[in-house]
Amino acid sequence: MTLMNRRTDEAAADPSTAALRAIVPATGRSWRDRLTPLIPLVVLIALVLVITIKQPNFLSLYSMRGLLESVAPLLLLALGQMFVILTGGIDLAFAAVASFGTVLLALWIPDMGPGGIVLALLVTSLIGFVNGFVVAKAQVPSFIVTLGALGLYSGIGLWISGASTIRLSEGYDVVGWLADLRIAQLPASGLLAIVIAVVIAVLMGTLRRGRALHALGLAEPAVLMSGISTVRLRILAFTLSGLFSGLAAVMLVALQRSGGPSLADSMQLPAIAAVVIGGTAITGGVGGAMKTLVGALIIVVLRVGLSAVGVDPAWEQVFYGAVIVAAVALTIDRSRLRSIK
Amino acid sequence: MTAVLEVKDLTKRFRGVVALDGVSFEVRPHEVVGLIGENGAGKSTLLKVLTGIYQPDAGVVLRNGEPVTFRNSSDAARAGIGMVHQEQSLVTSVSVAENILLGAEGDAVRFGFYNWPKLNAVAQRQLDKIASAISPTTIVEKLSFAERQLVELAKAMYVEEGAQVEPVIILDEPTSVLEGAELETLFAQIDRLRQIASVIFVSHRLEEVLRVSDRVYVLKDGRSVGETDAASADIDLLHRLMVGRESSAQFYHEDEQLPVDEAPVKLQVKNLTRAGQFEDVSFDVRAGEVVGIAGVIGSGREELSRVLFGAEPSTSGSIVVDGKPVKFASPVDAVSSGFGYIPAERRIEGIADGLSVAENIFLVAPQTAAWGPFRNPKKALEIAGAWIKRLRIRTPDERTNVGNLSGGNQQKVVLAKWLNSPELEVLILDHPTRGLDVGAKEDVYIFVREQCAKGMAVVLLADSLEETIALSHTILVMRDGRIERRFDAPAGSKPKPVDLVERMV
Repeated sequence: MTLMNRRTDEAAADPSTAALRAIVPATGRSWRDRLTPLIPLVVLIALVLVITIKQPNFLSLYSMRGLLESVAPLLLLALGQMFVILTGGIDLAFAAVASFGTVLLALWIPDMGPGGIVLALLVTSLIGFVNGFVVAKAQVPSFIVTLGALGLYSGIGLWISGASTIRLSEGYDVVGWLADLRIAQLPASGLLAIVIAVVIAVLMGTLRRGRALHALGLAEPAVLMSGISTVRLRILAFTLSGLFSGLAAVMLVALQRSGGPSLADSMQLPAIAAVVIGGTAITGGVGGAMKTLVGALIIVVLRVGLSAVGVDPAWEQVFYGAVIVAAVALTIDRSRLRSIK
Repeated sequence: MTAVLEVKDLTKRFRGVVALDGVSFEVRPHEVVGLIGENGAGKSTLLKVLTGIYQPDAGVVLRNGEPVTFRNSSDAARAGIGMVHQEQSLVTSVSVAENILLGAEGDAVRFGFYNWPKLNAVAQRQLDKIASAISPTTIVEKLSFAERQLVELAKAMYVEEGAQVEPVIILDEPTSVLEGAELETLFAQIDRLRQIASVIFVSHRLEEVLRVSDRVYVLKDGRSVGETDAASADIDLLHRLMVGRESSAQFYHEDEQLPVDEAPVKLQVKNLTRAGQFEDVSFDVRAGEVVGIAGVIGSGREELSRVLFGAEPSTSGSIVVDGKPVKFASPVDAVSSGFGYIPAERRIEGIADGLSVAENIFLVAPQTAAWGPFRNPKKALEIAGAWIKRLRIRTPDERTNVGNLSGGNQQKVVLAKWLNSPELEVLILDHPTRGLDVGAKEDVYIFVREQCAKGMAVVLLADSLEETIALSHTILVMRDGRIERRFDAPAGSKPKPVDLVERMV
C-alpha cells in the first residue's frame, strides 16, 4: 500500500498546491563535487612527476625503499588520528602515546618477547580508551583531555626511561623482521602499513556500522536520537587511536632498534597534516583510510623528494607549510560545513 | 483618515513556495489590529517583510500614505516600526539600557565608549512611555520572562525617537508563554500603548486576539481571507477561515481512526516526574491508540516527551512497556525497548545532514539489509527504494545528501528511518508536521493512521490544537507540569478547541 492517491487534495487542479509541491530538491553532484576528492591524488602524482623530472633517480628502487620505510609509522599514526578526527574531535596525545609505547616495548621485549608487544598494545589502547571515556562521559572537549594526556604520558615515558633512549638488542628479532623483511625487494614495514590502511578502508566501506564514526562527526544529536550510543562510538575512536599509536610504536622500535621517550613526537604534526591533506575534514564526518594513505604519501614524498632535488632544508619547511594550507583549501568540502572553526 | 501602515498585494515566494500571496491590510492610527492564522499561514513572513528582514517580490508598503521600501531592519526602525519578537532577542548578560539602545546607540556612544548617563536617560525615557518601573541599569538576566518582555516593548518604542512619528508596534505571539496575571498586565499594557502608538497583535489564539484588538485579519495559506471588527466577530467563522475547511475530518482522515478500547495497553506511564519540569504524570497508551498531549510552552509536555524517549532523566515515577517496567538511561535504551522519536528539531536531531537518504533510513536498523556484520548493498538499495516510493520522498536517488531535500521530504526520511525498524512499537511524535506544507502534512496524517491500524502506540505533541484533536483517541491537557484534564476524542465526537484552551491557560 502506498500513500499514492490517498490524499484528499490529490490531483487537485489548484495551482497553489501545485506550486507548494514544486520544491525539487537541490541535488546531483556537480563536477566540482566529484573532482574535489581526487585533488589530493592529483597533488601526489604531480609531486612525484615534478621531483622525478628534476631528479630521475627518485623513482629508483633505493628511494622507494626509503619512502616506504618512512611512511610506515607515519601512516599508522595518521590512521589512528583519522578515527578521532572523523568524529569531530582531535587526539593531541597520540604521538606522545606512541613514544611512550616505544619505551614500554624496549623495556618489555627483552623479558617477555612477543608478550611484551601484546601488553604494550593493550596499554596504549587502554590509554586511548581512558581518553575517550573522559571526553564522552565527562563531556570535556577532546582538545583539552588529550592535551592533558600528552603531558601525562610524556612525563611517565621520561620517568620510566630515565629520560634516555633505550637500545633494544636482546629480543630484537621479535620486531626486527619488520625492518629487515623484503617483499618483492620492498620493505615489509611500509607494505604492511599500506595493507592495514586498505583493510580499514574496506571494512569502513562494507561493515553495517562502518560509517558510524562519519555519522557521529556529521550529526551527533541525530545519531544519538536514533538510539546509537555516541558514548561508545567516541570511546571506540579514541581506543583505535591508542591501538594505532601502539602499532606505530612497534614499527618505530623495529626501524630504530630502540625506544625513546620522544621518539615519535616529531611525527605529531605531520601525522595530523597527513589526515587533513588527504581530504578528511578537520571538522569531522568526511574522510577515510584511502584519503589518509594519500595524505601520508604526500607528506613523505614532499620530505624525501625535496631533499632529493636538493632543496635547502630551510625551504623544505616553507614548502611543507604551503602545501598543507593549499591542499586543505582545495579539498575542503565547504558545502557540508556550517562554519569554519 | 490615512492609514498609518498599509500593505497592498504583498507577495513573497521561497524556492517555489508561495509564503505570501497578495496580502493586503491596513492599520489605522491608534488602532490595535489582530493578525491571526495557523502556523505556516504566512504571519512570520509578513512580519519579516514589515520589518525589512525580507524584501517582497511584489506589492507595496505605505507608511502614512507614502510608499516605503525597507532594505533592512534599520530602514524599518527609521520608519518607526518596532517589533517585539516571539522569541526574546535580548542580550541577557548586559543591562536593560544597553539592550534598549542596542545597535542604535546614536550619540550615547562617543569614541567607542558608552556615555552611561545619556544611555540610561534615553532608556529611562522608553521605559517611562510604557510606565514600567524597571531600572535601566538592571542586568537583563535578573528579570523575569514577563519583565523581559516589557524591556522588548521599551526597545520597540525606541523607534519613535529616530522616526519622529508615532510608532507602529508589532507584537509577535506575545502571549505564548504568559498566563494569568502576567497576561492581564500585558493586555493593560496594550491598552496603554493604544494611546501613543498603533499596534499589530499577532497570534493564533482567537480569544486573546478578540479581546485586545479593534479589528482582526485572518491569514490563511499566504492570503488574507477575512477581516472583521472584533466587537462583532463570530469566533466560529474566524476559526473556520483560519483552518480553511468546513470539515477538517477529511483532511485528518478521521474516518480511519479505529476504536482501541479492546486493544492491549502498550505503554503505561506512572507518576512520572522530572523536577522543575513536570510532576506526577500518569497515562496509558493502547496498541493502535494516539494519545495527544496539548499544552502551552512551559506546560512540561516537551520535557515529558524527551523523558519518555530517554533523552532526559526522570526524577521519579516509572515507565512500563507491555507490563514490564523499563529504565531509560539514554535513547539507546528506549530504542531497544521499541521506542521511536520524531523530534521537533528535525534538522538537528532528525536527519543526519551529510549522510545520504539511504544511510539515514538505515541509521536505526542497519540489520534489515545485512549479511551478518556486513552491509548488503543490493538489499539496502531495494529497501530504501521501497521507502522512497511508499512515502513519496522527493529525491533524485537514495544516494542524495538528505540535507538537500525539502523539509517535508526530510521528515519522511526520518519517518522511514523508524518504520524500517522491525522492533518499533511506540512512536513519540514531537511536532511531526512543523514547517511542512499542506500536502506533506496530510501524508503524515495518513501515515499515523496506517501505523495505528497496525497496532503502533503513538504519543503525539501536535503543532496545533486542531491537529491534536483530529488525530488523537485521547487528549491530555497539560498545564504547569501536570495533567490538567483528560478528554476522550473518538471519531465523530471530538472535543472543541475552546474546551482544551480553557484548560491550557
